[in-house]
Amino acid sequence: MKKVSLRYIVPIIWSLLIAAVVYTLPTGCKASQKVAAKTGAQLWAENCQRCHNTPSPSSFSHEQWETIGLHMQSRALLTDAERNKIVDFLKQ
Amino acid sequence: MGIGSLYPDPVQSNQKIREQPYASLLKIQTTKYLIMRNCRHYQIVFWFLALFGFLAPASNAQQVVDSSLLDRISTLEKEVADKKQGDDHFMVAGLATFGFVTNKTTIAGVGSKSNSFPDADHFEFSPLLLWRHGNKFLLEFEPSFDGSTLGVNWADVSWFAAPGFIVRAGYLVLPFGTYSKRLAAGWIDKLPTDPTGVADVPPTTDFGVEIEGGLPLGNMKWSYDVALSNGLQLLPDGQMQSAGFSDNNKNKTVTARLALLPLSNSSLEIGVSGMFGHVGDEGSSFESSKTDMYALDLNYVKLFSPILVNVKGQYNYIHVNDQQYLNPADSSNYSFENTTKTGFAQISLRPTGVTSKWVKNLEVAFRYGNYTTPKASLWGEKTDVTEFGLLYWFSWRTVFKLGYTTSKSNSSTIGLEGVKTVSNSFFAQFAIQL
Repeated sequence: MKKVSLRYIVPIIWSLLIAAVVYTLPTGCKASQKVAAKTGAQLWAENCQRCHNTPSPSSFSHEQWETIGLHMQSRALLTDAERNKIVDFLKQ
Repeated sequence: MGIGSLYPDPVQSNQKIREQPYASLLKIQTTKYLIMRNCRHYQIVFWFLALFGFLAPASNAQQVVDSSLLDRISTLEKEVADKKQGDDHFMVAGLATFGFVTNKTTIAGVGSKSNSFPDADHFEFSPLLLWRHGNKFLLEFEPSFDGSTLGVNWADVSWFAAPGFIVRAGYLVLPFGTYSKRLAAGWIDKLPTDPTGVADVPPTTDFGVEIEGGLPLGNMKWSYDVALSNGLQLLPDGQMQSAGFSDNNKNKTVTARLALLPLSNSSLEIGVSGMFGHVGDEGSSFESSKTDMYALDLNYVKLFSPILVNVKGQYNYIHVNDQQYLNPADSSNYSFENTTKTGFAQISLRPTGVTSKWVKNLEVAFRYGNYTTPKASLWGEKTDVTEFGLLYWFSWRTVFKLGYTTSKSNSSTIGLEGVKTVSNSFFAQFAIQL
């Protein structure tokens, strides 16, 4: 019974997630004003610590932050706006 | 704004600087002549001569200063030209870990002790090479030395094609759960070891292509990650390994992960993954074999002042359809339910909000892991692992960890049913991001 429930529950959750995304795509695939108004510092604090400690802006040069920004966007699946704001903050 | 608008034309500037002292000198000489002719006051002449005598060396000094200034400007112009921002950028990052482990293992009541400087799980040197071409392409290559072999963690090219749409090709980390892709690095992992089974079951590095992206959704965010790769290869005992560079059949394996970050501060992430594909060698008795795998992952990081709470977990379910396997001991066929379950739950606490610098750099971590392989197979066992860790952060990317791990395993392997193994280990590990 346990095996059966697991094998079917996971696809059901996945299907619900897909359905939610498809349902909201036409109108909702954009950041709310509240999220869009966040500063680079806020996004840096919120997103970096999801996996590791927040990095010091002085750790890398401007050019290096640009490169690391792309690398981290693909690792953490940041939105483009988040990446741009965080990198701009780290370059200050 | 270009460099040209910031810096005036160097030729015109230099000419103005050279002309200025000569113009001043000419003006003084003319004034002196007029005064001598009209006034004939020798005292005045004397003073003007004295003044001229004073100004002449000053003018020479000015020329020396001007020459020095010109040299400096020339040097700066060269430096600016040398540091001109290009489209490409190359850098080296990566990580290194080094540690010590002492262990006592008891198998069916018979104990043994060992201690060692790094073994494969606790030593790694992995420089990460990153090439960026403009803002659209990124090449990543991470070779890794684990103490015995020099391998490659990943080697791929990413194309940031559009907002929320990244295309990648090469040797990839597959999007099955999050541990392998995000949390396995020594300076990120809160404990000295990988959670049992999760990091390498199933193998999550493969040759293929991938699309992924993160997109906003009102106050929330969601992300997708889909890969098409060669897939896995079913071994004679029912375990699986990566098929490698050359696929073992004509079917490709699909791996996908969808994740939702339902809170606007991104503190919570819930992900669901699946991996589906044929795993048997073409033309072999396993030709019809296929796998379906699922993973659930959770990540929650939030500051409850003054404590930063960090919760992570992943559960993997791995299944291969029914097959007949060959027992090497007596060449007989046998079958078993080829299902493997593995997972972990982890919490770590760090008092980042306290004033003491020494205390705020401390962190404590706890992890429970379970790894259950198929009963009545040649590799069946049920293992429970509990781990405690105490960390001290020298910087945001440099950490020293002390860890204590207890592992209790109960065998369900054919012929070894009920054999118990208990292992206790103490770890000391240093990890740094390069």
